[in-house]
Amino acid sequence: MDWSLLGLSFAAVFLSELGDKSQFAAIALGGSSRFPKAVFLGAASALLLASLIGVLLGEGTAQLLPTRWVKLAAAAGFGVMALRLLWPTSKETEESEETEASG
Amino acid sequence: MSSESNPFLPDVAKSLADSPAKAVSTAASDESNEIFDADRIEAFALSQGKPKTFRGVFLSTFITIFLAEMGDKTQVTTLLMAAEFHAPWVIFAGAGAALIATSLVGVLLGQWLAQRISPQALDRSAGLTLLGITVWLLWDLLVA
Repeated sequence: MDWSLLGLSFAAVFLSELGDKSQFAAIALGGSSRFPKAVFLGAASALLLASLIGVLLGEGTAQLLPTRWVKLAAAAGFGVMALRLLWPTSKETEESEETEASG
Repeated sequence: MSSESNPFLPDVAKSLADSPAKAVSTAASDESNEIFDADRIEAFALSQGKPKTFRGVFLSTFITIFLAEMGDKTQVTTLLMAAEFHAPWVIFAGAGAALIATSLVGVLLGQWLAQRISPQALDRSAGLTLLGITVWLLWDLLVA
């Protein structure tokens, strides 16, 4: 095992990901969701899969998916989740209050 | 059963109410049922607000973050390093540990904040953060 290379890739990715979109999403979803563990598992596995694809396919990744449409789909997904949080039903708000109080 | 008045009831269920034998052939032949079902599920999900199950939270987080990360700078960094050093598994191990660490830090920070502000303020700021990410992604699209 090349420890310096391991350390280099850890540091490069850690700094690149710190304060990036995914981490903000993890903060927002992890704080507001009833299942922070599910948010952690979902975020970590999505990031692992994306970097695994990067490592395995290398330069071919760009050709695999039309990245503009993928980004647009991601934007739509975050938009829907944002609206769900900003305009919840009154019942939903009551329920989340109960959860906060008991948890 | 007023199947005529319910727009969310799929055709299969309508014909099942009319004639059970005909319903089977309808289900087999009518491809639009699938699309119809997806619309129904989406409408239901939206009417329910936040995802209510562990699986729902996991899947919505996974899908949005995966799509946002495809072709993003972290993935590009990883693939460039893998190509440069010819040690893809060492690079993946380092990158993977870093990604798990940043997700964990993010979720724990969210939890820490959740204990300090009211649920309403929390939902609003989380919603605005996600809206900010939406704009960020659209901005990436425009400048790329």
